Amino acid sequence: MASAIKDALEDLLRSRRLQADEPLLRGEDARGRALSTGIAGLDELLLGGFPRGQVSEVHGASSSGRTALVLALAARLTRAGSLVAWVDPGDHFDPGSAAAAGVHLPRLLWLRGERRGRETLLPAVSAVGTLLGSGLFEAVVFDLAGIAATARQRLPGTTWIRLQRLIEDQPSALVLIADGHVSHGPGGSALALKAAAPRWAGTPPARLLRGVRAEVREARRGLRGATVELQACS
Amino acid sequence: MFGALFAPVPPPDGALLDLAREFTPRVQALGPGEALLDLHGLGRVWATPRDLAGALLAAAHARGWSDLRVALAATRVAALVAARGRDGLTVVPVGQEAATLAPLPLDLLDLDEERRDLFRRWGLGTLGDLGALPARGLAERLGVEGPRLRRLARGEDEAPLVPTRAPETFASTLELEWPIDGLEPLSFLLARVLEPLCAQLKERGRRAARMELDLGLVDGRRHRRALRPAAPSAEARTWRTLMLLDLETHPPDECIQAFTVRAEPTPARTVQFSLLDPAQPSPERLAETMARLHEWTAAGRAGAPALVDSHRPGAFVMETFAPGPVGGPGGGAAVTGPPGPRLALRALRPPLPAQVTLVGGAPAFVSAGGVRGEVVERAGPWRASGDWWDVAWSREEWDVALAAGGLYRIFRDRLRDEWFVEGELD
Repeated sequence: MASAIKDALEDLLRSRRLQADEPLLRGEDARGRALSTGIAGLDELLLGGFPRGQVSEVHGASSSGRTALVLALAARLTRAGSLVAWVDPGDHFDPGSAAAAGVHLPRLLWLRGERRGRETLLPAVSAVGTLLGSGLFEAVVFDLAGIAATARQRLPGTTWIRLQRLIEDQPSALVLIADGHVSHGPGGSALALKAAAPRWAGTPPARLLRGVRAEVREARRGLRGATVELQACS
Repeated sequence: MFGALFAPVPPPDGALLDLAREFTPRVQALGPGEALLDLHGLGRVWATPRDLAGALLAAAHARGWSDLRVALAATRVAALVAARGRDGLTVVPVGQEAATLAPLPLDLLDLDEERRDLFRRWGLGTLGDLGALPARGLAERLGVEGPRLRRLARGEDEAPLVPTRAPETFASTLELEWPIDGLEPLSFLLARVLEPLCAQLKERGRRAARMELDLGLVDGRRHRRALRPAAPSAEARTWRTLMLLDLETHPPDECIQAFTVRAEPTPARTVQFSLLDPAQPSPERLAETMARLHEWTAAGRAGAPALVDSHRPGAFVMETFAPGPVGGPGGGAAVTGPPGPRLALRALRPPLPAQVTLVGGAPAFVSAGGVRGEVVERAGPWRASGDWWDVAWSREEWDVALAAGGLYRIFRDRLRDEWFVEGELD
């Protein structure tokens, strides 16, 4: 009886869309519900957010704000109670920056690559597969920035197709961070970032880095673009 | 019919209860050398109470306990007091409890020192003396305690028997006719053992917090593995997967001749889920996923990062990934400052040693591996130091923009006077 009432109430919540921006309820098929980053311009560019069941990518040169944008997604998801996995073969993730961005760290699973000089990309791809297959994580982030293209090219040619096949029935999104285009699914997003000049304030020795204005383009759909202000952590 | 066992020299821990449980599961432990037995319904096995008492005594003698006292009575108190006060075998006839107990000393009741002195001053020496006193008079002098002691002295029960539960052991062993090699055949056999074991756990409202797999190898050696997932579980499929994943990384080096699975039970968790909170991850699936990531977890390279209370830059610890309820403790620092996405540090671990050219005390050129270029803009220095009582650190930090592009955080180790690139601001 109690279970029936709970199911009815959950149906009501769904029908009224009271949970539109929240994590999934039990049994809810949310493949059509994108993962919003909470950044208005970016969500508009992404037509709502990163699509579930798809491989998406965020790529750009150094200091273009790739990590900051994906951390914004992780912060929004973890604060809402979802789980996020961050697979980091290069061991570049900084918990302090993540916490400053608002990530709820206990809900973030971080897989750190080994020290430099060891091959960690293949085990990392395998771990991404495990995480996607578990269905526990709303977003799995695979940080390939700083990984040499030659190391990526040593991966089997079917790697990205396999991951796309693995994820397409899952309510998760796989987001790649990279220096340049790597791969995205047929319905996935590809954000290309370009760093504009950083903003500074004050005069030496009291000069401060205020932030960076990132220019974001949806590479798959062509010309549309957005500008995102990234604040420097104080 | 109730029975009581009294051992003047208490046997080893639990041995008396083991003897009692050979006759009835309803056994109450009263002390190291005393036990009460509920013997109702045993008349079909032993025709008379004396036969039953004789069987109890014979079982005790078989264990070498020649001084064990056994008493049977219609009430628990009568059986217990008779066992305490009489050697060997005593069968108290039904309805004759008070008369049987009457000659026994009053000390056989559990009286405190004050009561014992009082009864001695009243001239009471036996249970019969106390039982013969009028209940009203005792109540007037001792309150409710008086009639209660009188009833005990007459062998009348006060409280029901509260059975002592046998210690729960959840273990199962499978001896194999032929040794097996490899995990695939073991997978099927594990299912045969784990399914009834997990069903037994569920029947008792228990989950296994830990399971031990004890493999007996053909050369007589043992290969033991213990698993303790983040959350207790009684799902046979989950435990089988965890065991197989563990054995994949720690395989036995010989064929398996027998194996035992032991579970460490814990009460089943009761969780009231909220209607409006998001669905929590299944602990079983989480444990299984973490086991599949064994290669990362074993090396301490997978978990939930947690900041530590330190000013040392980049200080953090890796904790077990066990997300609690939404809004639980341990979150990141509260987001302060203007809203919006924040530049993040992409750390270089360990920091990259750098050659830095200074002009007017400020960095003008940085060269460190792949990070190289003229500094076109800079902010700093920000000085920090700490841990002087331990491994001291002291640094001078700069945020620099390079002509070739890229924002980096560099610092000078003031103790060693060396420069490093800490990471990229992205």
